[in-house]
Amino acid sequence: MKAEMKSFTRKPAAVFFTFVFPVILVALFAWVVEAEGDLFARSQTHYLPGYLAFVVLLTPLSRLSSTVARGRDHRRFEKLATTPLSRTDWFLAHTIVNFALIAAASAVIVAVTVAAAGVELAFSPAAAAFVLFAVVAFCGLGVVIGRVTGSEDGAIAMSNGVGFPMLFLGDTFIEPEALPWYVSPVVELLPLTYFSRGFRAATLESGGWGFDLAIVVVCAVAGFVAAVALLPWRS
Amino acid sequence: MDNPAAAVEARGLRKRYGELIAVDGVDLSVDEGEVYALVGPNGAGKTTLVRCLTGTTEPTAGDVSVLNSRPSAVDRVRLGLLPQQFTPPDRLTARELVEYYSGLYPEDRVRETSAVLDEVGLKESDKQRYRDLSGGQKRRLLVAASIVNDPDLLFLDEPTTGIDPAGRREVWRVVEELSSQGTTVFLTTHYMEEASELSDRVGLMHQGSIVEEGAADELVAEHGGGSRFTIETEETVDAVAGVLEGYSVRDEDGLAIVEDVSLETVSKVLDLLESSDVTVQEFNWHTPDLEDVYMELAGEDCQPTDSNIGPQASEGDDDLTTGGEGG
Repeated sequence: MKAEMKSFTRKPAAVFFTFVFPVILVALFAWVVEAEGDLFARSQTHYLPGYLAFVVLLTPLSRLSSTVARGRDHRRFEKLATTPLSRTDWFLAHTIVNFALIAAASAVIVAVTVAAAGVELAFSPAAAAFVLFAVVAFCGLGVVIGRVTGSEDGAIAMSNGVGFPMLFLGDTFIEPEALPWYVSPVVELLPLTYFSRGFRAATLESGGWGFDLAIVVVCAVAGFVAAVALLPWRS
Repeated sequence: MDNPAAAVEARGLRKRYGELIAVDGVDLSVDEGEVYALVGPNGAGKTTLVRCLTGTTEPTAGDVSVLNSRPSAVDRVRLGLLPQQFTPPDRLTARELVEYYSGLYPEDRVRETSAVLDEVGLKESDKQRYRDLSGGQKRRLLVAASIVNDPDLLFLDEPTTGIDPAGRREVWRVVEELSSQGTTVFLTTHYMEEASELSDRVGLMHQGSIVEEGAADELVAEHGGGSRFTIETEETVDAVAGVLEGYSVRDEDGLAIVEDVSLETVSKVLDLLESSDVTVQEFNWHTPDLEDVYMELAGEDCQPTDSNIGPQASEGDDDLTTGGEGG
């Protein structure tokens, strides 16, 4: 974990895309939302799950997929397979590092959003649970993408191809009712949808979030199992 | 398995990828403390064999024993591996990389980081990032990452490919030191000189099979043939043969090949030619080496290239090559 964290902090591009880029996007969205057009008619805080999804969804997808593809290309897993480290250890360590980074980035995003909206948000353990389990789920999805693609470039392309549509379809910025009827089933199948609804309910609307959390936890378990099974430990 | 003292043993080992048979019925045994070099050009099956032995791939058929266990069940604390073309995270320093790999083993098994860096000659460069090290330094660091746990058995898959001769010799020094401490080393290389220099025994691999194995000098004595003195002149080979009466001279593509000429006799042959007004344009004296053995046993369909079995031809201590008038 220490080595992974050091590697991260020594990659300016990674630091930028994890901490600065989402803040820039949040600022842009905040400006669009403030413009009071038809598309973004809700308050700033309604879109907070969408802002957070920039890091909760996109960071683990791109980081884990490229790490797995790079590790396979550079024969790192073959080396690790002959040490006492297990696949579970490896995935857990990377998930913890990603959670730490994403939690820090999320705190920055929440602070920027609160400042932009001029409202106060109470800390909710349920909100933290949503972030935690969503990170596990998307780390697992990142490993799957890294495993099925043939190169690091392919992994990044596919993680963007999966992540960006999900970012906008997962009940984040656009109301599902505003989408064409044939897209609705897709929305209901996306893990991010349940993160968005549950996080919103837990922090803003005081609604029920148990079902959404259960779905996110199931996705996390599935992601964990798939990642551990698919890590390219053997050639 | 037949040999309880063997650190590595394989019987009838076979690995198939679809239509391609990468490893074809390999039998081998490496004793504890031995340095075994597996030699062959790219595509011979060396890396696949290493993967079968280290348990990172499943053989299609055959039995493998590593430290008296199946590869999948072996105590990994006792193993070290430097995979072919392995590249670690390049933003970490030499010290951080050694610490990272040390962190994967139980504390009581791990060697002190400074001692490991010292052993590979990188103590002074410990704060340099991997990406900033020279090719030779990088390889030595990767060897360091493979010995942090003081392994009983170390697999080095082409540890010197792609680095300059000086860097290669630095890696050799580390391997020799490990060997002197009793570590069993299983090494793959396509440099014949490296195999001769480092190993107790050599296995010559060709198209998935080990075609011969034994001590390098014994293989050369058995299969290498005699020394060859190659002479290029403006005269015909018959004319050269007429001058060199009593020597075995044959024609090879217009060059005169004089068989079994010792280094001491070379000047005598040149004097004879000069006294007969035969102008020597270029000559080359070559003693048989492992490459000749490989060519003899594996056949002409595996001609070495510059990228695989090349460098020793120009670096070998036993080669004497020159050009120009009269030698």
